[in-house]
Amino acid sequence: MTRISDIQLPAAVVASARAGDGAALEAVYQAMAGPLYTLLRRLVRRPAIAEELLQETFVDVIEHVGAYEGRCPLPAWIRSIAVNRALMYLRSPWHRSLEWLDQHPGGADRLTGAGAGDAPHPDAALERALMTLPAVSCAVVWLHDVEGYTHAEIGQALGRTPSFSKTQLSRAHARLREAMGAQATVAEGTPCTPA
Amino acid sequence: MHTGMNEWSTRLAALPDFAPPAQGWQAVLAARRRREAQASARWPLALAAATLAAAVGLGAWLQSAQRELAAAAGPVMALPVSEAIRAENERLEWLLATLPEPRAMRGSTAFTLAEIEDRLAFVDDRLSRVMLEPNAPERSERLWRERVGLMNSLVQVRYADTATTH
Repeated sequence: MTRISDIQLPAAVVASARAGDGAALEAVYQAMAGPLYTLLRRLVRRPAIAEELLQETFVDVIEHVGAYEGRCPLPAWIRSIAVNRALMYLRSPWHRSLEWLDQHPGGADRLTGAGAGDAPHPDAALERALMTLPAVSCAVVWLHDVEGYTHAEIGQALGRTPSFSKTQLSRAHARLREAMGAQATVAEGTPCTPA
Repeated sequence: MHTGMNEWSTRLAALPDFAPPAQGWQAVLAARRRREAQASARWPLALAAATLAAAVGLGAWLQSAQRELAAAAGPVMALPVSEAIRAENERLEWLLATLPEPRAMRGSTAFTLAEIEDRLAFVDDRLSRVMLEPNAPERSERLWRERVGLMNSLVQVRYADTATTH
């Protein structure tokens, strides 16, 4: 997986993008679209919502790139916009309604149809276990374990306390272990002889 | 088997990427055009609202908001929101989560809930962009206060509805 923090943009591209140059902004988009879309999919899960948030993030970038002062790398600045948008979405009433629907039989299965699940991979069990987590817990796990956010930053972004983030992370790890253990048990107990 | 923190990080980071949407940049440009069109369509409404606000004596508030807009500030990556507001927001989110899902409800209740949720969505949208605006910390604080007020209303209406239908 490509980490956003690993993306290196040429200084000339960053300078041109800051000046609002369309070609440079497109180059930034092309460099970041994959990792940023992956991050958004991990946070909000639904492909259509992730696509919309990706678009909205880059519209924000186009409109506000003049406010970027270079205090952090441009990809990190763009990531903070995307994360902020995604977490706001998770707090929205629409998301709460959708999550309620997903808790019903077959609900979570609707979310696994495309993307990383396109091809089998060695840690498919972890992928499935992630889908058993509530969206906010999954977001906390991803931001902390993969993106390197601190509990204070996550709490801040969610409008909660750092201890909320710590608790969510601890419970999420326990649930992941439990879900992966259950999957292993099912796999081991499945007869492998043809019917 | 205990899975340590570093192992989680390694395994999660090793999961494959999702393929971004095809023609993504064109979609971004189209989204921008839509946003611009919406903004220009809102102009007459905004003008009418400003006139009304002035008529009821909110001119001073508008001037202060304008001053805030004029004061340029750098981007803020993490906006400070007071502990009390965060705690109250958390308490209300928790309360809302503990209420049972609504069954059949009166039309007036459904309308009120929809109104509050629409306003919440609007505030959330503003919050998602506030970091890019001048005086972001102050605006963020104000929006969070508004969000807490709306959440409070939402919990009260949902609680009253639950009390009568369950």
